[in-house]
Amino acid sequence: MQPALEHQEEKDSQKEEEEAPPHELTEEEKQQILHSEEFVTFFDHSSRIVERALSEQVDVFFDYSGRDLQDKEGRHLSRLVTYPELLVASYSSNEDAPHEPDGVALVWNMKYKKTTPEYVFHCQSAVMSAAFAQFHPNLVVGGTYSGQIVLWDNRSNKRTPVQRTPLSASAHTHPVYCVNVVGTQNAHNLISISTDGKMCSWSLDMLPHLELVFKQSKSVAVTSMSFPLGDVNNFVVGSEDGSVYTACRHGSKAGISEMFEGHHGPITGLDCHTAAGPVDFSHLFVTSSFDWTVKLWSTKNNKPLYSFEDNSDYVYDVMWSPTHPALFACVDGVGHLDLWNLNNETEVPTASVTVEGNPALNRVRWAHSGREVAVGDSEGQVHIYDVGEQISVPRQDEWTRLRTLSKIQLNEVLQLWALKHIYSFSCSKSQCRGRTSGRLFACVDGVGHLDLWNLNNETEVQKSPRNII
Amino acid sequence: MAEVEETIKRIQSQKGVQGIIIVNAEGIPIKSTLDNSSTVQYAGNVHQLLMKARGVVRDIDPQNDLTFLRVRSKKNEIMIAPDKDYFLIVIQNPTE
Repeated sequence: MQPALEHQEEKDSQKEEEEAPPHELTEEEKQQILHSEEFVTFFDHSSRIVERALSEQVDVFFDYSGRDLQDKEGRHLSRLVTYPELLVASYSSNEDAPHEPDGVALVWNMKYKKTTPEYVFHCQSAVMSAAFAQFHPNLVVGGTYSGQIVLWDNRSNKRTPVQRTPLSASAHTHPVYCVNVVGTQNAHNLISISTDGKMCSWSLDMLPHLELVFKQSKSVAVTSMSFPLGDVNNFVVGSEDGSVYTACRHGSKAGISEMFEGHHGPITGLDCHTAAGPVDFSHLFVTSSFDWTVKLWSTKNNKPLYSFEDNSDYVYDVMWSPTHPALFACVDGVGHLDLWNLNNETEVPTASVTVEGNPALNRVRWAHSGREVAVGDSEGQVHIYDVGEQISVPRQDEWTRLRTLSKIQLNEVLQLWALKHIYSFSCSKSQCRGRTSGRLFACVDGVGHLDLWNLNNETEVQKSPRNII
Repeated sequence: MAEVEETIKRIQSQKGVQGIIIVNAEGIPIKSTLDNSSTVQYAGNVHQLLMKARGVVRDIDPQNDLTFLRVRSKKNEIMIAPDKDYFLIVIQNPTE
């Protein structure tokens, strides 16, 4: 045994000698090198490249499915993250590809320059509404034309949903235009409303099962829904008949509470005020409608506070800026994206852009940062716009200015509304003329009505119809 | 010489940079912002990798030559800018 070991040892030491690292440089030698011209040339060149490489911060390796965060046993570490660069959009079926499934939802990544979606999701029925499931960063929720609610998971390798709600009378049987996750990390629900007015509340906790927790219905053809900031019980819905309703999920008054009338056409979009700040505007909401107008409302008032009438086509969607309290965006059917800043001007938009080709713009969404706006059009394209700082970033006084404005408006607007009401009402007929004399306002229309309006005090309008000629 | 020092300081202060090592063609470190043992470890390993990478590029196309090498790992990224006589190593944690 011994000789073999020795032999081995000899070999090892021989190897060591051959592989012995070259002698270390002395301090002097190092200094010599550092001062040499060829070194300086090398360093100038390579440090330049390295500095550029260091500053390019795009991380192409990021895994949105979170697989890289799994611990050794394969369990998922819980994360509460939102990815503001991700955008989900649902599309109607592609006319050029009749064999593809009707329901398509695409997740786009605004951080990278690639022109293909981050994730592609399919389902059998057209997806009318899609949203990221808050508190579940891997899930995307879709409301479909058939009434099914579907769940996609970006961890699965399939494009089809990982979970679907049943197609039965116990769930939805009509198209679902509104899906929303409300609540907190520990107590949240998925709320869905279909066009027959049925509202269902689902639990996402018992994944993969979507459990129906609560449902209530009122025959309202709901087209849009919004929850005020911080509220999980009360919400506002807009319907096809042009009315807005407030409702609540729980309690003795569960169901529809109040009705708000004012629009003359189906409501296409509705959004509750979200920009949190020193003044609470959570009672304010905006609506858009086929009647060419956007209206500002307060839940404390049955009539609109203000009506924005700059559009000359169906207004398809409206959304408040998530950061600026007086700013909202709306889109219409002839390619206009308008930004309104109420602290600036209430007659015309503060900023406006027309999409090339004037396609009908169906949806508008602000990015979480409040600095970008995404617009979806009828051609299947999503356009992302950068909003300049001078418009998008609120100053300190924006909240107080809006409060002052809304107080004034509440009084003035009732008068204004009266005036506008007559004009718009009358103009749809043949002729109208109006004259103000002090506080009395006379108006005639083309079918023989003479109406006298008495703008007595700031909150009351008295109509005294006389002499129908 | 002062410029070299300045540049090294500047690179070192960039977001996420963990260390800078300058090594000669034989793999002996000339300058480093890391401690001795780490420096020696990086220098030796990177030198071997560099030789191999250069060999790969030259083997596939003898007219070609290696200009830059980036090794991305779970925790960080090692950037290597090689030259005829020296190479520059920068270690960065990009997600910091």
